[in-house]
Order: sequence, then C-alpha cells, then structure tokens
Amino acid sequence: MASKYIALPNGVSEKIFDTAVKEFRGVLGEANVLVSAEQLAPYTKTMMPVSETNHTPSAAIMATTVEQIQKIVAICNKYKVPIWTISTGKNLGYGSAAPAERGQVVLDLHRMNRILEVDSDLCYALVEPGVTYRQLYDYFQEHQLPLWLSLPAPSAIAGPTGNTLDRGVGYTPYGEHFMNACGMEVVLANGEVLRTGMGSLPKSNTWQAFKWGYGPYLDGIFTQSNYGIVTKFGFWLQPAPPVYKPFMIQYQDEDDVVEIVEIMRPMRLNGVIPNSGVIAHALYEAGVKAKRSDYVSGPGSISDEAVRKLVRDHHMGIWNVTAALYGTQEQVDVNWKIVTEAFGKSGKATFITEQEAGDDPQFGYRAVLMRGGMDMREFNLYNWRGGGGSLWFAPVSQARGSETLKQMRLAKGILAKYGLDYTGEFIVGMRDMHHIIDMLYDRTDPAMTKAAYQCFDELISTFSAEGYGSYRTNTAFMDKVAHTYGPVQRHVHKMLKKALDPNGILAPGKSGIR
Amino acid sequence: MKATWMACVGFMSALSVMASHTGVLGADQQEVPQTGFTWKDGAEVYTKICALCHETSVGPILRGRELDPLYIRLIVRNGSRAMPAFRASEIDDHSLEQLSEYVSKSAGAK
Repeated sequence: MASKYIALPNGVSEKIFDTAVKEFRGVLGEANVLVSAEQLAPYTKTMMPVSETNHTPSAAIMATTVEQIQKIVAICNKYKVPIWTISTGKNLGYGSAAPAERGQVVLDLHRMNRILEVDSDLCYALVEPGVTYRQLYDYFQEHQLPLWLSLPAPSAIAGPTGNTLDRGVGYTPYGEHFMNACGMEVVLANGEVLRTGMGSLPKSNTWQAFKWGYGPYLDGIFTQSNYGIVTKFGFWLQPAPPVYKPFMIQYQDEDDVVEIVEIMRPMRLNGVIPNSGVIAHALYEAGVKAKRSDYVSGPGSISDEAVRKLVRDHHMGIWNVTAALYGTQEQVDVNWKIVTEAFGKSGKATFITEQEAGDDPQFGYRAVLMRGGMDMREFNLYNWRGGGGSLWFAPVSQARGSETLKQMRLAKGILAKYGLDYTGEFIVGMRDMHHIIDMLYDRTDPAMTKAAYQCFDELISTFSAEGYGSYRTNTAFMDKVAHTYGPVQRHVHKMLKKALDPNGILAPGKSGIR
Repeated sequence: MKATWMACVGFMSALSVMASHTGVLGADQQEVPQTGFTWKDGAEVYTKICALCHETSVGPILRGRELDPLYIRLIVRNGSRAMPAFRASEIDDHSLEQLSEYVSKSAGAK
C-alpha cells in the first residue's frame, strides 16, 4: 500500500510517524503541520546537482514559541524523529530549505519573527529566527533609527539568524557576521533553554553588549552545527555614518589580483578600508550586463578572449574591486586620498565613484549592498548561463596576492575541465579572503548536472589537498568537506553531539555531524 | 528641532532617546508581548519581495501581462529554475491569493 507520506524519516515506521505527526498537530494545530506533496514542494526545491528525492522532507512543521519547540523536541526524542531547522530557508546554492537527509521533518521557524529589541545607543538588535533583513530594514526606516545592517545578496528574503548561524558574510564593516553576533537563546535537545554569555546571569542587561560571559564561550558550537535550536539571536548594528562613499577600481589582467591584494591588505588591517569589499572577476558581474550566449556558442567554458571582449563591450574590469569609505567628510576625504595614491601607483587601475558610475547597474547593486540596503540584482548571476543550477564553492584563502592568484588558477582549471566558467570573487577580510565561486550550470541538462557534481567533488578534493579548506558548503557535500578537516575534529564534533543530543534528533548530517 | 540637533552632533547621539526601542529584554526578564510580522496585502508582498527581481531585470516583468492568478500561485510555491520557491510560512495562502490577484490585474510599468 502506498504511504500517505512523500518520505519517511530513516528508521521510523509509518505507524510510528503517524503518532508523531498526531502529537505535532496537538502542539501546533492542524494547519501548522504539513505533509502533502503540494505543501512540501517549496521545501524540496534546491539548486544542487543531485536528485531532489535525496532531500525530500517527510513533513514541515511551523512553530512560533519556545514552549512549542520544547514540546516538539520531546516528541522527536520519544519517536526518534529527526528535525531539520530553518529560519528563513533561503540558503540558496547551499541547499535552500530542504533537509540534509531524506525524510527529516523540517522545523520551519519563519513565523517566529518578532523583533524583540533594538537599542540605538548600543547599536544592537535581538530577534527571533524568522525575522528577515527586510523586516529590520523597514523597522529602522519606520522609526527613523540611524542603524545599518550587514547582509548577503539575498537581502530582503534572508535573515540575520540563519545567515550568521551558517557563518555567512556581508559587505559592510560588519560583514563578518558571526564576529558581530552577541548572545543567543538555544533550545537544547533535552528541552532545556540556554541563554549564552551574559544571558545566563539573572538581571543582566549586557547580553547583547558583551559576548564572552564566563567560562567556555559556547556560541560558536551552535553555528554550522546541530547541537541546539536557536530561538533568539543578538547581533550588533553599524551606526549610520554621516558620509558614505562607495567606489570601484577596475584592473584588466587576471594576474593583477596579486597587486590588488597586496595593496588592499594593509588598508584592511589599518582600517583605511573598513568594509568587506570584494575583488570580483568579470564573470561574477557579467550577468548584470550581458548574456553568456552573446559570447559563447557550443560546449566548453568561456575563452579568455571572449571575456576580454565582454569587459570591453560593457566597461568592466577583468577584476572589479568594490569597497567603501564611511565616516565624516574629513575622514572620507583623507582615506580616499590614501586609496587613490596606493592603487594609482602602477597606472593599471581605473577609479570609478558614484559620479562616474551614473546608473551603471554593476556599481549600483554593489553600492546598495555595502550600505546594507535591499538589493537582489546579484541574482543576475543566475541569468549568465541560465537553467537554475548553482553551488557555492567557498574555500578560504590567505589575504596574500600570490595565494589568491594560485587559488583562482586552480579553480579556473578544474571548472574548465568540466566546461564550466570561473564565476568567482574574493570577499576581503583583514588576513583572509572568502573565495566565493558560484558554480553555475544548467540543471535542466542531465549531462551538465552530472558534470557539475563531479566538478564540485574535484574542487573540494584538489583544494583540500593543497591545504585550502571550505568555510561552508551545501547539504550534498557536507560529509565530504567534514572529512577534509581530519578525524580528530570529526571525533570531537561527534562527542559533543552524543553529549548534547544522544538520540540524534537535531539535524543529523549538518556539517557531517551525526 | 531634531533635524538641527542631528546636523550639529551627528546621527548617533541624537537619537539616544529612542534607545531600547522595543523595550529591554534582559536575561530573565519577560518578553514584551507583541505579534510577529504579517503581510498587509498583495501589493506589499510584491513591493517587498517580487519587485526586487521582477522590476530589476533579474526576472521577467510580471505586471501588465494579465497572468493567470493560478499560474502565479503555482510558480511562487514551486519556484522556476533559479527562482526560489516561497513557503506558506513566508507568504501565507491568503496573502498569496492577494498577491496573485494584484499581479494579474496590475497595469504595466510606465
């Protein structure tokens, strides 16, 4: 007899699952427990080169309170039902809202979306997991609060809790998001509620002001992990500066990334350039202005010659550095002089400010993101090739010119082997770079989808063999990336899992941890 | 008065009176009762989500095409190629109905 469910959790019979679903409904109400194929369709769509059946949930349940979540984990423990928690569920290119493993129940916290506190003196916010950046942005506008967000490209539809817990990055001076996280409330697998840091101290008013508390710092173990369900999240906000000056610097040779990084690193370290600017390859920005089919016909990756034509046609650089200055007019003027003198020395750089850029869409979307505004034009990436396939390959690099060039060449060579383009950028930290490559492929083409899977697999293997680890990955490759970090780290992760979640009910498989 | 004050001393200190805007939530203090976010109507959903792609050349123009509301609802829930799917937790069924009517009946961009 056909099952009434589109999938079942691993090792759970339909009869047992019936009972669990009935109890979920008792806690959440009928309307907040979804099991039909139609209801679960949006939880199943991903951009990954694997079958969606690998990541089909058995159910999705929507909770809005801590008490409900405590009751849910009790039910999951009783029946050994695994749950995959999402907040806004827009981890696009990393697995979206779908669970790591077939049959897991998605615990969807998007409707748990209250902004609990915004403090414009100390510049922090405390929110529930379903709060989106858009909600906060509108809240600041409505109440005329001079506060800026830092956010990733999906801006309006993503949120600070999920992005930070997956250790995502943005483009402002607060762009390393976990660096600016401060205080969490976590429902543990046994139903206890932990407030991290100063939040554990009765009457404390420094939960969102001081990160460390007393004793071992625990917040880190609740990121990229499956040790608890974060139900409140505190983070710091940037005070709006009086003057904001975004700029772009273009270079016309791939080897120039060495010069760019060597000039940029000292200015990131000494604070002249305060934000997580980017060094974007032309192909990362190309979708804003052009279609791949205008430059490539037939199979194979785009040629260097075609890329040079593309940048000439659309006034782009082979490398496009975007960063910004923030502060008083005097501070910005002084720092702009330092920036232009440093980059101007070799004569290779072209400087573009708002005046020169006019309504250029490439400059425009970068300028909005670097002030934490709502802008999703980066999604033009998906129009470059089309077909809806996207996987983010995200190795970490030293902020050293020779290293960035080496990584770029390594990635480009592997991608070309599979007929794919190097659609990459470096997000510039002080000592590190997030090397972000959107591996774009046509998901409607089975041969290309298969090639994309193999290519991603080879990228991880080859980069890790060179000592380059990924900072984050999608749900299809979590075990593989975990393996690259060696057996001792995996063992420690496993011991923590066993101690905190002995029945393995919380997101088994996240970061390769079970 | 506020504008002058802000011009003199900058944004940060000027709005100190607005600190702790939603009320303080200390480690063991009660939460301030308030409800979560809900959509006002279909136009708000369109402006705050759809328009960011469909009015910026990322996705196709939707307004002014008299698209079938049912088709709109299907695409929103299932996604299409690179367009993500939107769950009922993000855009509830009632708001999705309003959204699809709004888009279907809307005039094209001028």
